[in-house]
Amino acid sequence: MIEEDVAELLGRVSLGDRDAFAELYRQTSPKLFGICLRILGNRGEAEEALQEIYVKIWQRADRFSQGQAAATSWLAAVARNQAIDVVRARKPAANAIDEAYDLADPAADPEKSAVVRAEGRRIDACMEELEKDRAEAVRRAYVEGLSYQELADTFAVPLNTMRTWLRRSLMKLRECMER
Amino acid sequence: MTTPTPEGRDFRRDEVIAGEYVLGVLSADDRRKVEARLASDRNFAAMVDRWQSNLSSFDEAYDAVVPPPRSFSAIERRLFETARPEPVTPRRGLWNSLALWRSLALASLAAVMVMGASLASLFEAPSAGTSLVAELAGKGTAIDLVAHFDRASGRLKVTPVAARQAEQKSLELWLINGSNPAISLGVLPQSGEGEIAVPSAFRSRISTGSVLAVSVEPLGGSPTGSATGPIIALGKARNL
Repeated sequence: MIEEDVAELLGRVSLGDRDAFAELYRQTSPKLFGICLRILGNRGEAEEALQEIYVKIWQRADRFSQGQAAATSWLAAVARNQAIDVVRARKPAANAIDEAYDLADPAADPEKSAVVRAEGRRIDACMEELEKDRAEAVRRAYVEGLSYQELADTFAVPLNTMRTWLRRSLMKLRECMER
Repeated sequence: MTTPTPEGRDFRRDEVIAGEYVLGVLSADDRRKVEARLASDRNFAAMVDRWQSNLSSFDEAYDAVVPPPRSFSAIERRLFETARPEPVTPRRGLWNSLALWRSLALASLAAVMVMGASLASLFEAPSAGTSLVAELAGKGTAIDLVAHFDRASGRLKVTPVAARQAEQKSLELWLINGSNPAISLGVLPQSGEGEIAVPSAFRSRISTGSVLAVSVEPLGGSPTGSATGPIIALGKARNL
């Protein structure tokens, strides 16, 4: 995918340009279909998800604003979110947000704001600072859309251990990328 | 270990939740909670955006797989069919014969002409209606077309629903009346909606029962003046 083309096409799609939509589909659907297939593991479901994804892209193209996210990663996020919603509906996962978080990480700097700043490093360098199996868990969670339970089963560790792994890894990644 | 301030604690917790959301490990309920907050909390939305772009290099792990052609047709149907001003959905009844036409879609042009002849005779003489519409469907092919002929302006508008298979080819539109030789109405534009200005000499020949067919031709159209490639879609005009 050529980034600028995709961003421009998305802009035209947000104005209701159907030709641009057809071209955007031609350029990007193989990647997004690949995402659906990988996460859903089922062609029929992947085809249905792909339809939902492009319906959303048509309806939400105006939410994509250049500069905040790259066009291709915005599209991939729409696709991953749809595919993950489908797997979570198919196979419910335990809720986690209301639980107390057990994160014994270095204290946050209260001066820090959530303003997006330029990242000092790429994620890949920071991933290498994680222990191998944890980095692998982070990557597989993202790429395969696995739930905490599925990750715990895959890595043969208790559910709470997996939660701690991923949450600490996320904190370490955030800290590393801001360094 | 320093005791974090409450703000710091929340900030870190939010960063983790934003990261978990982007990773995709949360339950459906939790995902809805995160999305509700995304809509109202710009700082939190910025955290999610940042994780999104940080982790997007993992997207390289996904192999591209070309989806089947029917996917795009289905998407266009869902998005545009109801919103389109012209009624392009065939009424039931008469157009049940579509099944017959579909079964013939891959037949040779010669066979099409014979069928056109026998079927055309079942219908009335050219009608005085101002608009005609034909759906051109091919069995097992990538393309469905809707042809819309406005007699007053002489414009024949053809909408390919999924024409991208024939990238280095052209799609040529043919008019077949009875057993007469097929007349080329022109080459369809490569993408999007195609409109062809029908030569005035041919306008009167497009009537109820006329058969419209689309063939795949070398780029630019048939070199011989008659169809050389496979017929990928055809259909019969009816009154709108």
